[in-house]
Order: sequence, then structure tokens, then C-alpha cells
Amino acid sequence: MTARAVVNEFAKMRHLRVGLVATIMVIGVLALSLFAVVSSPDFDPDSPQAWNALLAGMSLGVPLISPLLLAVLASRQTDIEHQGNGWLLQSTSGITPGGLCRAKFAALGVIVTAVTIVTSLIVLVFGKVLAGILPPAPLGHWAGFTLCMLVINLAVLALHILLSAKVENQLVALGVGVLGCILAVFSQGLPPATAHVTPWGYYSLAQAAGYQGDQIQAMPISYPSIAALAVIVGLVFAVLTVRFDRQED
Amino acid sequence: MSSTIVETSNLTKRYGQRTVVENLNLSIPTGSVYGFLGPNGAGKSTTMKMLLSLIQPSSGEVQIMGQPMTRGTRRKLLGGIGSLIEAPPGYAHLTGAENMRLVQRMLGLNRQQVDYAIRAVRLQDQMGKKVRNYSLGMKQRLGIAMALARQPQLLILDEPTNGLDPAGIEEMRTLLRRLAGDGVTVMVSSHLLGEIDKTANVLGILSGGRMIFQGSRSELMVASNPDVRITCSNPHAAAVTLKSFSARLTDDGEVAVPGLDDRQTAGVVAALVGEGFGITGVRRQEQTLEDVFMTLTAGGGL
Repeated sequence: MTARAVVNEFAKMRHLRVGLVATIMVIGVLALSLFAVVSSPDFDPDSPQAWNALLAGMSLGVPLISPLLLAVLASRQTDIEHQGNGWLLQSTSGITPGGLCRAKFAALGVIVTAVTIVTSLIVLVFGKVLAGILPPAPLGHWAGFTLCMLVINLAVLALHILLSAKVENQLVALGVGVLGCILAVFSQGLPPATAHVTPWGYYSLAQAAGYQGDQIQAMPISYPSIAALAVIVGLVFAVLTVRFDRQED
Repeated sequence: MSSTIVETSNLTKRYGQRTVVENLNLSIPTGSVYGFLGPNGAGKSTTMKMLLSLIQPSSGEVQIMGQPMTRGTRRKLLGGIGSLIEAPPGYAHLTGAENMRLVQRMLGLNRQQVDYAIRAVRLQDQMGKKVRNYSLGMKQRLGIAMALARQPQLLILDEPTNGLDPAGIEEMRTLLRRLAGDGVTVMVSSHLLGEIDKTANVLGILSGGRMIFQGSRSELMVASNPDVRITCSNPHAAAVTLKSFSARLTDDGEVAVPGLDDRQTAGVVAALVGEGFGITGVRRQEQTLEDVFMTLTAGGGL
């Protein structure tokens, strides 16, 4: 993978409506986070627990929105290679299929990183400015949650790039994305051991706040599990992209 | 400069038990237009992919511009090789100009190189259009422009006339001649001899993964050794007399004798005269290059 290949991936995003998909991701998570505040009868901006409502909203919004939209982003960016004989074009220019997948991950990774961080910051600013929450924000917990969501989003993105590259029919990738949304949301109600089984389950392990009884409470984030996901998916992505380089029709 | 730009020695590709290309010794002279012919499934695309190191040979080796083509050297060598393999490339959601900019950035080319390639394929007035709105011929030309932009010494084109109308095919021929005139060595494959025999000055014919002929057009005609046709009195009896030469009676009432060289032909004629047949004509069967090609590829060899 070279810097030129990554820049080319950004150039290929023209007319693919990547900006629209990214905006939907931000607005969708934002709307669900704000809904959690608006719909909570117990919300009190003076309470130290007020921030937890926003964190709980994001903890639900990200898994509900991200898996499908990440699948859409990866699919659109990868399908163009199938449709345009791009794998061969790049190969004859010295960029192997695995290198191309890595370039796609780097380019889309920048978008996903920006979307995840911007969403988190907007929710934080909303809590302070619009909702008028008075107690100081739990910045450490907030940053940890944002980092974990980013790692999971990038892991899911990497796996979707591999899937879209391997399986030409992009309905498969989108179907897996829908399944991912369901698994991500339902994993919140399952035991933590079950959540470790699929990459989407890890969204529940990064849940920063949620209902405990009838109160929204801060919840511990399973940092070691998220770190393990990053390592495993990183290895899988590296191994499979190297295999793509050596794969013959 | 070396006299051959591409040399392969015993190039073989197997997928499991199936041998797709077998002991291929390809030799492409520098500056030539090399017509690489063979029926569908003969192994042409596989060979071209091996030349470009897109797939690895099971055995044998490829030398391009005097250097072995391997995974280690491919990136450097590909800088001097333009290619169009299988379907023409092009991102349909982008314009022709945007596609060319991708190639320009990827290969670190300057604006003049890109403009030269676009003008060479006469696509300069279509660059603002999205590729999805291009005709197949325009897509082929864009693919060739992408291959040409690096100003290659060697251009490898896999069935570039596939799906083109007669005007498009003629335009492609003109382009190949012009490129060859500019000093680019062109290797062009086709399953139809007629599409490239007017353009190519060296032919390689592949059948069942084996090279069955390599040489010039005239060498091909000589090597094909067409039947000798004898017009004589009582051709039926003459055909019986020449049974040991596998002679047969044709619909035109001539005796056709296959596989004779000039000396053997003289002997056969003398034998018939000796038997009392009146010989009124002896000639080689007229064959088009297409006939030769069909005979070779159907029969598996010369």
C-alpha cells in the first residue's frame, strides 16, 4: 500500500455518496442519543447522572446505526473494483489486491474515525450547551467509550472490506450488515461471553451507560476485550490481505 | 537493445491435474506486432497473465526486457508494460478524465504523458463523460489509454477487439499500426485470425495450451503444407492408385493428396504418368490464412 493508493481511494469516493452515508451515521447516532434524553422522565440537568443518559443513548445508537452503514461504505468502495475490472488495473500498475484492500481501509478508516469522534463531540457539546447539564462531564469515561466504539467500528469496517472484496454479490455484504445491527443490539441483553463470539457483540462490551433497574447508570467498559478484538481483527486483516496478494483465479 | 523483448522458456501453468499452458517457448521480437492466436480456452489469457506476473507459472520462466519477471521484479518491470487484460478497466461512476487522473497519480505520470495517451486513442472529446455512458469501443479505447499513459515499451492487449463493430475493429488495427510505428512492441491476442492478421507481423498460435506455430505469415503458409490437387483422366482410379498416400477424390473430380513436399509431388505425378494416367493439372490447394489457422487449431498442430 502506498500513499498514492490511499489518495486514489479518496478520489474514487467522488459520486459514491460517501459524504451522505457519513452524515447519516452522525445524525442517526445523534438523534438516538438526544431521544434518550428527551424521552427520559427522570432527566435532570443538575444531577451527576445526567451525562449517563447521553452515554446510554450513544451506546444504543452506535450499534443500531453503524454496522449497516459501515457495510454500505465498504461495499460501495469495494464493489467499484469488481464492476470496473479495477483489481486487474491496479495489479498491472503494481498495486496488489491485498494492497488495494489496505488502501481502502486506510481511506475509509479516516472517514469512520472522523465520524465517530465528531459524533461523540457533538453529543458532548449538546449536553453542555443545549441540555445545560451542570455537573462536569465524565471526560475519561467518555473518551474511553469513544475510543472503544472507534476500535469496534474500524474492526467491523475491515471485515466488511474483506467480505465485499471476496464476495462479488454485494447483497451478501449488506445482508451481513443488517444481521450485524441485530446482533449488536441484542448482544446488550445477552451474557458477556456471548457478546465475544461475533465482532458486533463487542458494541455491548463497550456500553458506557444503561438502565440498571429503573435508573440509568454508568457501566464499566471491557477494555481488554476491545483490545483483543483489535489485535485479532488486525491479524486476520493482515493475513487475509496477504493471501489476496497471492490468490490466483 | 535486445532483439527480443519477451522470452519464455518451458512456461507451464497447471491448476491441480489440469494443464492450461504447457512448455511454452514464446519469443516476441522487439518492435513487432505479435499476434497471439488460439481458440477460446487455448490458454492465451493465462499466458498473458503469467507474462505480467499476475499469476505465477507452475514451472518455466519469463524474461521481459532481458530481466526475469518475478514477484520481486514485477513492480519495476510493469512500469514499462502497458496492458489490457480481460474486460476494459474503468470506474463507471467517474468520468474518463477522473479515471485518467487515477492512473496518473498511481504511476506518478505528468500531464503530457496522459494527454498523449488520450490523443493516441482519439478520446479527447469524451473525457468529461462518465464511463458508464461510454460505448464498449470507447471503454476499450480508455483502457488502452490507461495502458499507454506510462509510454510503455511493451503493450499487451488481450482480445481488444472483442465486442467491437467492424468500424471499431478497423480503428483498433489503425491504432496498433500507429503504435508499432512509434516503436512500441505490441502483443495482441485474438481467437479470430482475420482480426489481427493484417496488423501482426509475427504470429504465435496456441492450441490446447501448446504453441503449435510461431513465425511470420508467410512461414505459416509454408509450414501448413496444403493438399496437392491433381486433375487427371480417370480420377477415381488415380485415387485408388495413390491410396498409400491417403489420396481422396474431391467433389470437383480432382485427386487430393495431403502432406506432400515438392519432391514427393514430382514422384507422385511421375508414378501416375507411368501408370498411363493423363495429367492435365497439378496445384497446391489454395488456402486462406483463416483455413490454415482453423486446420491447425482443430488438429492440434502442424
